[in-house]
Amino acid sequence: MFDHGQPSYAEVNKDILSVMLETGPRYWMLLGTTMSVAVIFFFMPWFYQLIVGVGAAGMNRNAYWGTYLSNFIFWIGLSHSGTLLSAILHITNSPWRKSVYRSAEAMTLFSLMTAALFVMVHLGRVWFVHWSFPIPNQMGLWPNFRSPLMFDVMAITTYLTASSIFIYMGSVPDFAAVRDASTGLRRRLYTIFCFGWRGTAREWHTLGWAYTFFAVFVIPLAVSVHSIVSWDFALSIVPGLHHTIFAPYFVCGAIYSGTAGIVTVMYCLRKYLNFERYIGQVHLDNLGKLLIALSLIWSYINILELFSTWYGGSSFELEALKFKLTGFYAPLYWEMILFCAFVPLLMFFRKFRWSWNKMLVISILINIGMLTERFIIVATSQPRKFLPNAFGFYFPSWIEISITIGSFAIFATLFLIFIKWVPAISIYEVKETLKPLRRDA
Amino acid sequence: MSKISRRDLLQYIGAGGIGAVGGVLYSESIERDVELLIPQVVPPEDYSPGIATWYNTVCNQCSAGCGISVRIREGKAKKIEGNPVHPVSQGRLCARGQSGLNVLYNPDRIREPLTNAGQRGTGNFYPISWDEVLTTIGSRIGRLKIENNASRVRLLTGRVRGHLDELFAQFMGLLGSDHYQQYDFTYPSALKAANKISFGIDQLPYYDIKNADLLLSFGADYLGTWISPVHHSLAYGHMRQGRAGRRGKTVQVEPRMSLSGAAADEWVAARPGTEGLLALGIAHILVSDGHYNGSDRDQWSDVLQAYSPSAVSAETDISEGNIRQLAREFGTSKAALAIAGGATTAGTNAVASAVAVNALNHLAGNLGQPGGIIFNSDQAFSATPGTRQAGMQGILDLVEAMEAGEVDVLLVHDSNPIFSLPDGVGFRQALDKVPLIVALSSFRDETTEQADLILPTNTYLESWGDDVPDPGVGFPVASISQPVVTTLYDTLPVGDIMLSLVRQIGGELPMAMPWRTMEEFVKERWREEYEKRGSADQDFEAFWQAALEAGVWGQPGVMTGDQIVPSGASTIAAITNPASQFAGSETDYPLVLHPYLSASLLDGRGANLPWLQELPDPLTSVVYGSWAELNPATAEDLGIREGDVLEVETPAGSVSVPALIFPALRPGVVAMPIGQGHTAYGRYARNRGANPMDLVSMQIDDRSGDLAWAATRARVRNTGERLQIIKTDGVTRTLGRQILGPKNDHA
Amino acid sequence: MKWGNDLSTFVEKFRQYLKPGYYDEFDYHWTMTIDLDRCTGCEACVVACQAENNLPIVGEKRYAQNREIKWIRIERYWEGEYPDVKMGFIPMLCQHCDAAPCEIACPVFATYHNQDGLNTQIYNRCIGTRTCAVYCPYEVRYFNWFTYTWDEPLEQQLNPDVTVREKGVMEKCTFCIQRIRLAKDNAKDDDRRRVRDGEVVPACVQSCPTEAMAFGDSNDPEAKVSKMMKDPRGYTVLEELNTTPSIVYLKKAHAES
Ligand SMILES: Nc1nc2c(c(=O)[nH]1)N[C@H]1C(S)=C(S)[C@@H](COP(=O)(O)OP(=O)(O)OC[C@H]3O[C@@H](n4cnc5c(=O)[nH]c(N)nc54)[C@H](O)[C@@H]3O)O[C@H]1N2
Ligand code: SF4
Ligand code: SF4
Ligand code: SF4
Ligand code: SF4
Ligand code: SF4
Repeated sequence: MFDHGQPSYAEVNKDILSVMLETGPRYWMLLGTTMSVAVIFFFMPWFYQLIVGVGAAGMNRNAYWGTYLSNFIFWIGLSHSGTLLSAILHITNSPWRKSVYRSAEAMTLFSLMTAALFVMVHLGRVWFVHWSFPIPNQMGLWPNFRSPLMFDVMAITTYLTASSIFIYMGSVPDFAAVRDASTGLRRRLYTIFCFGWRGTAREWHTLGWAYTFFAVFVIPLAVSVHSIVSWDFALSIVPGLHHTIFAPYFVCGAIYSGTAGIVTVMYCLRKYLNFERYIGQVHLDNLGKLLIALSLIWSYINILELFSTWYGGSSFELEALKFKLTGFYAPLYWEMILFCAFVPLLMFFRKFRWSWNKMLVISILINIGMLTERFIIVATSQPRKFLPNAFGFYFPSWIEISITIGSFAIFATLFLIFIKWVPAISIYEVKETLKPLRRDA
Repeated sequence: MSKISRRDLLQYIGAGGIGAVGGVLYSESIERDVELLIPQVVPPEDYSPGIATWYNTVCNQCSAGCGISVRIREGKAKKIEGNPVHPVSQGRLCARGQSGLNVLYNPDRIREPLTNAGQRGTGNFYPISWDEVLTTIGSRIGRLKIENNASRVRLLTGRVRGHLDELFAQFMGLLGSDHYQQYDFTYPSALKAANKISFGIDQLPYYDIKNADLLLSFGADYLGTWISPVHHSLAYGHMRQGRAGRRGKTVQVEPRMSLSGAAADEWVAARPGTEGLLALGIAHILVSDGHYNGSDRDQWSDVLQAYSPSAVSAETDISEGNIRQLAREFGTSKAALAIAGGATTAGTNAVASAVAVNALNHLAGNLGQPGGIIFNSDQAFSATPGTRQAGMQGILDLVEAMEAGEVDVLLVHDSNPIFSLPDGVGFRQALDKVPLIVALSSFRDETTEQADLILPTNTYLESWGDDVPDPGVGFPVASISQPVVTTLYDTLPVGDIMLSLVRQIGGELPMAMPWRTMEEFVKERWREEYEKRGSADQDFEAFWQAALEAGVWGQPGVMTGDQIVPSGASTIAAITNPASQFAGSETDYPLVLHPYLSASLLDGRGANLPWLQELPDPLTSVVYGSWAELNPATAEDLGIREGDVLEVETPAGSVSVPALIFPALRPGVVAMPIGQGHTAYGRYARNRGANPMDLVSMQIDDRSGDLAWAATRARVRNTGERLQIIKTDGVTRTLGRQILGPKNDHA
Repeated sequence: MKWGNDLSTFVEKFRQYLKPGYYDEFDYHWTMTIDLDRCTGCEACVVACQAENNLPIVGEKRYAQNREIKWIRIERYWEGEYPDVKMGFIPMLCQHCDAAPCEIACPVFATYHNQDGLNTQIYNRCIGTRTCAVYCPYEVRYFNWFTYTWDEPLEQQLNPDVTVREKGVMEKCTFCIQRIRLAKDNAKDDDRRRVRDGEVVPACVQSCPTEAMAFGDSNDPEAKVSKMMKDPRGYTVLEELNTTPSIVYLKKAHAES
């Protein structure tokens, strides 16, 4: 389990808490960079777009959705491994989960937030976004519950809430540890954060019970969220979007990209926060195996989609398919196939699965592939629907590209803030995996 | 910089960004400026907020003379629709007519009198008072009159009909100058000349498309730009589907498919310039196959001897079988009608072609018949519209006079010869020899830009006047123009300007033309007409009110009276070989240039109207620009793709335009829409596209004296540059989808 | 028992709602017919709609970006090759589908079906998700990518009966609902329960120089549209999508030779 020898309980506390308690200039520089990139690449262009209108983006009357929506789906997808994986592994009692799940759940939270930001950026009149919530008002207006977008609002807010509670709940004993290790204001704050956790048997029992309950609760939620997101597309009759396979396809793709995302995050934690002792070969190996499985499912669904479109023989669908496979964006399509269907097969070899660097590259390639997958779905279907005379084309504007780049900075910023406020690895659960207590600390 | 301040800075950036976004969100969610509901302190009397009033008047966007109704709310014109009781438009209107609002509220209207302060052609103009400008012109003309040099005053207008025409004529007459002429690029001079030859009547007859069973159009885009598009469209709709069990058929002969060609059942792309020959070929068969049995059959047979199907087929590149088929249909249809226009009547053979088409109508026996050609025997008023159309010959005479220094004062109204004439005419250069150029205009078009003094005129929606549609509708009709809104700026109706000049010039003029305003003048003339026609059942005021309200007066019963049926003799005598002579040799210039009137901008007068600039061209969907069309095969031969910038060259000049591949164009032809390429004329028109008139060689059809603008050869060179043609069409094939008809219709 | 009653009422209403022809039970079912054998593609209707409904002048740049706004447009389709080449025009506007894909899409009910069979669009409710436009198979929804302005004094021609839309709002053909409202008001003032056939004339129909279009209430068997709809040439565009449009086209007839 531990590559570099088993640490003592005190070492665990020290290792993990030191990330929070000791802050060097490198951290500030990194945070400063990500924040600046977020502001310059994301918020400033968005601000400009708010002033002139969504026309600042490249969308047009043939393509009403663009990168904002495809990025939204990408980020929702990325959110899918954290909480979901953590919950599944918790229920199945997999010990290797314990050192990865906290960061994975944080990833869920922050990618959901980034995704939510993309909804805002996408909207024509974001200043009225509250109308999509069922808030009683004197106009007697109510949202339309037939709309898949309404399902989205419901699903995502529920998922965000549940994930937040889940990650918070799992962190309570660790907040207590932070409290115990600090003084002054921080101590007072974490006293509140940990609800006065004392570590009594009753408290542990309640936590265990509640945590398991939430794990069970969150799993179907996660599955439903990306199903619902897929329905934004699949419930339309647009050729290329109107596929019953979309819900499982999106869920699978989401978990796939999320898992790859976890690999990337693990790599960074290990490398930059010196968590080598806690994140080791076993994690990498298990994540690699999971990725292979997901990649195979993903490929299967893709083949299925192609087959059923071809077999269905609808002229609209075939035309859309032809454009996807051979049109302007075909290189992107084949790039996606390469990165998501073929590259991951390398992980069948232990040489790749056991190499942090190789796995980092593979995981990033998978996510590039998944980012393009979402873009292709949006960019190849709706500009070529039913009336050939209204066929058009979509290409993102520099504002969309900039905002896409900026969104990664937002995610990174949130993560950097997170590691200063919450132990990035679950202290108490890592301790649970230690061999019986050594008394030499 | 310390660690803390870096941190602060970043926080500020973050907070600032969020604050700014929040600010925008907040400001977007609150109300905007409140505008006043009723802008005037004392509103006009016919002004009731919230209630729309409709005023009837006449469209002036082309020479059809459609009656229009303008919707007024709170003193502003809001919409133009067809006047339902007007026999020309019958409640309908074309895109151009509806865009009249863009004329009225055009941001580039001239808002006050202007002078160039002695720097002609620089485009610099300075405001000047009406008093000053009228005194200047009045005294200048007055002096010429006293010196008996009034013939040194020239008046050039666009199409002017009704009593404004009479006002101009009286004015010039009293001065002692007979140099009042009109020039309208779209005026069908050749048609008129041919009709005079064939029928001995100097007017445009009424073509009764509505009741025809077969309409054979030689180049006339009767649904888009020819003579009276709205009226023809109404007739077309009726002819197609308005008669149970009897669907009229249309055939269009033209090298480039026009709107009318697209509507036709058959589109026949005869070799450019040979349309008249095709007509004679059909006529030949009509006579030889016994479809015509008049007493003068032998004479017809003789004169048509040379135009056998085989000879005509060789010239026109239309198969013999096709010609025979057309002839058979034309000969056997109950009501077959042939019309000519567009490029067919814009060659060096214009009149010959039109005469050839008249011959078909003779042979079909449709003269004076329903579904044929109806002569407007009784014109409303004494006016004979179109008689002052100078044609190209008149313009050349004017240019010559200007060059010779015989013109001291040139008054130009509503005519833009600099834009719509080929450079070869030399109009622009001749202006340098004229000491005083006065433009009476609402817009600073190319010709107005050259003026010394600009007298800003009211638009037609702010003016009094009247109109007699030309051609009529087969019975006497006259329309009244009235202002529908109060004048927007410090401008005057053109009639009022002329009457002010009358008073400035003095002498016997004010006595002979005592009216203060155009309104007074029109009303008096209508009173005279009323008394002459002697309808006793109403007093004039009641009649006038009724006419004003209706916007039109007419006598529908008069149509069926005795129709003139001219003999065929003069047509027979006038038939000559109608083969057009093209400028430029075939070896140097392998293509034929086919300029055509833009469906929306017409001859360019619509180019300053944003609604028309934004209206996709009906056949190509292009907006905001010009282009040169090539047949796909021709383009492939020349290695040209859509969007390649071409240099189109003719003996007269060259222009650069992007290429557009157009499937319904005869190979070997390069087609270009007329209308763009303005160098002035306001923000929507200026510096946009190219003007094909720059390519047209100066050639004249002798018999009508009109410009042969479709008789120039051209070559194209791919410059290697590319330019995006802005169009709204995506893919223009249905891909077998259920769009134009039920699916089982598609094979 | 009461619950049972409520439930059965609910089920009954829901069934009714699902039944095709639901809108037949209301007074009006506004319907348009377009005769392609009359239509010449002249685009008078396009300008008429622009004038009546305050459509913006978007400018050359926006056209180049495919951001034009024309609630009714003419689509062009070529058939064959030179010299046997034919052009087919078809005016395309909101089909006011009874089973409108756009309507389920809108999260805020900015677009919904009213009891007259109209697909209505409430600009000030729209938050600009553009889902409706993606879902619309006829691509007749147009989005305000910017706030468009009019060069002074062109704004004076704006129709005071129709709002001007701001950036971020979806818009489309309303069947000239302001004219429908006016006709209904007039009918009410005259103590009539229903408007007469021909009393409502949308701007495009009004202008059409070939009289290709007819508009009226297809619930009234005597109305002109009801008669036109029975023409054997009648069809609906993309019928296989089952959107049940309120626009019936009459296909172009062919000359007998
Ligand atoms: N359509 C319609 N008509 C209505 C009503 C309605 O609801 N709808 N309501 C009716 C009723 S209840 C009322 S009370 C009347 C109100 O009708 P008005 O008395 O006409 O009220 P306002 O138009 O609000 O204000 C009149 C003017 O006073 C100016 N003003 C504001 N402050 C001052 C000031 O300090 N000094 C001076 N000299 N001027 C000032 C404002 O700018 C405005 O031009 O309208 C009646 N008419
Ligand atoms: S045909 Fe001519 S007169 Fe009639 S509405 Fe059109 S532009 Fe005006
Ligand atoms: S106005 Fe009438 S004829 Fe012209 S394009 Fe529209 S529907 Fe067709
Ligand atoms: S045509 Fe499009 S916008 Fe109109 S009702 Fe149908 S789906 Fe909705
Ligand atoms: S764009 Fe407006 S109308 Fe369309 S779905 Fe979104 S909120 Fe509804
Ligand atoms: S019905 Fe009215 S809103 Fe619809 S296209 Fe016609 S004019 Fe425009």
